[in-house]
Amino acid sequence: MAILEIKNVSKFFGGLAANSNVSFEMTQGMIMGLIGPNGAGKTTLFNCITGFYPPSQGDILFDGHRMNGLKPDAVCKLGMARTWQKVRPLTKMNVVDNVMVGALCRTNSLHVAREIAMEKIKVVGLGSRVKSLAGSLPIGERKKLEVARVLATQPKLLLLDEVMGGLNPAESEEIIRLILDIKEIGITQMVIEHDMKAIMRISDKIVVLNSGEKLAEGNPQEIVSNKAVVDAYLGGE
Amino acid sequence: MRLFMHNMRGMSVFPVLLTVAAAAGLFLLPNFVESTYALHIMILIFISVIMGTGWNILGGYTGQYSVGHAAYFGIGAYTTLILMQYHHIAPWYGAWVGVVVAVAIALVVGSICFRLRGPYFTLASIAVAEIFRATALNLRLTNGAEGILITDIPPFKIGNTVITDFMSKVPFYYMGLVTLIIAIIVTRMVQNSKLGYYFQAIREDQDAAHSLGINPTAYKNAALAISVVFTSLAGSLYALYVGFIDPSTVLALDLSVHIVMICIIGGIGTIWGPAIGAVILVPFSEALRSNMIAQALIDSGLISENSRIGSFLKDQLSHAHVLIYGILLVIVILYMPDGILGFARKLLTKRRKETI
Repeated sequence: MAILEIKNVSKFFGGLAANSNVSFEMTQGMIMGLIGPNGAGKTTLFNCITGFYPPSQGDILFDGHRMNGLKPDAVCKLGMARTWQKVRPLTKMNVVDNVMVGALCRTNSLHVAREIAMEKIKVVGLGSRVKSLAGSLPIGERKKLEVARVLATQPKLLLLDEVMGGLNPAESEEIIRLILDIKEIGITQMVIEHDMKAIMRISDKIVVLNSGEKLAEGNPQEIVSNKAVVDAYLGGE
Repeated sequence: MRLFMHNMRGMSVFPVLLTVAAAAGLFLLPNFVESTYALHIMILIFISVIMGTGWNILGGYTGQYSVGHAAYFGIGAYTTLILMQYHHIAPWYGAWVGVVVAVAIALVVGSICFRLRGPYFTLASIAVAEIFRATALNLRLTNGAEGILITDIPPFKIGNTVITDFMSKVPFYYMGLVTLIIAIIVTRMVQNSKLGYYFQAIREDQDAAHSLGINPTAYKNAALAISVVFTSLAGSLYALYVGFIDPSTVLALDLSVHIVMICIIGGIGTIWGPAIGAVILVPFSEALRSNMIAQALIDSGLISENSRIGSFLKDQLSHAHVLIYGILLVIVILYMPDGILGFARKLLTKRRKETI
């Protein structure tokens, strides 16, 4: 069953079509890779799906709800959460308080929120950093903090925007394992990533965007052998 | 390590005891202090603490720097006095009407101005306060630039027993003290609740907060409403105490800036910051205004009264309090960006680390 349906979604900024006529579906429990050259419209699509931009045209259906026009907070309450390409830690709050803000989406009790937060902090492996200020963390730990915080909102669908960007190979490997662990729990994920090796390894299906349009869709093998994709990345004749 | 943990727990009891002792001391103070001038300064400090604590909920915790809080101070002041003077409604009801009016207006203003972020919100808040000042200056209801002078305050009765007739400063002292304590307790409750977490999340990063299920406009309005309750009460108390209000005192930009200054100097986003800021700023500006500082310098023999500097200070220092405010603000922002409280905390943790 499709948990997320994108139907002919377009987003225009003035005359510029950042997304045009993009359609695809995601099924429950899958990891979908969203790739494309810089400026292909990946983050714009994330923003449309999570309510930061209203799509100019088309429909977004999540878990049976029509999402068009819903604000980000309502989107989050329905069970969809996103991380940010440029991390957004709540810098003057410590790690557990950051994650508690996410957990408070489902509870009014600080006590319950703290328990949920501690559990998610352990999942991402920040157990030793609970009391550190978020602003004092290095980039690798900030990325993990983002993931812990969105997990605490107890989402059905996670949208991860370049969680491996700027990380060293060891840290990327940890994130890859984390993404696969999250899949085990049964949370559906859409992942934007530039690291091709990583994306090929974790994705069940990949959608390629180029200049705002969907260029290709398929499993990793189909994508690497797709001529249009290779041309878009390496430059055609 | 065990001993250390114990110490840590002991530390958290200590401030509570200290706070209770300080509150008890303040309650008993009027029994020992004869000087009405000292009580006058205390009441002015209390009023500043109340409005600073109110502003701190919106500015300190939620990160929305309003430089227009004089509007709500003025609405509280005017509502209370207009109801008392022209409609014979006792001020202890009038002050609450003032709160309701101020909050209602604040929510309308908030739902418009909170579309703006950062400095744009601040500019809008200044503009709104100026609109209120200009309006009060031109309305017959508010008696324009002449302002409202109260003749007398009806005695406060419960049943037939007269609790107080407001002849001395003492009842104002206690009204201020009680309101101040409530304001601080409310701040504490906010800080230790979902509301406090959401306010701070919005302050730290509005978009991140939004994506985590927080409706920024709704929570900013909530912070504004709590904030305005205390600002308006401070206004009512001020109006009753001083007995005269006009647009250039209770709706002035100066006042808005004073509220923000108290918080910045004391420590923004902390429970005690505004109290510390007010305890420092209010006596300081009073001393400047009444020429006490220049006189003290001359009396101490540091500067001769007949020297050029001495006579200059004596003539001019009292007019320069705004200038000195400004210099103080620059120094605090440069060297203590977290205010005096934040600076003291940093020193303490440094020393604690060194001793361990």
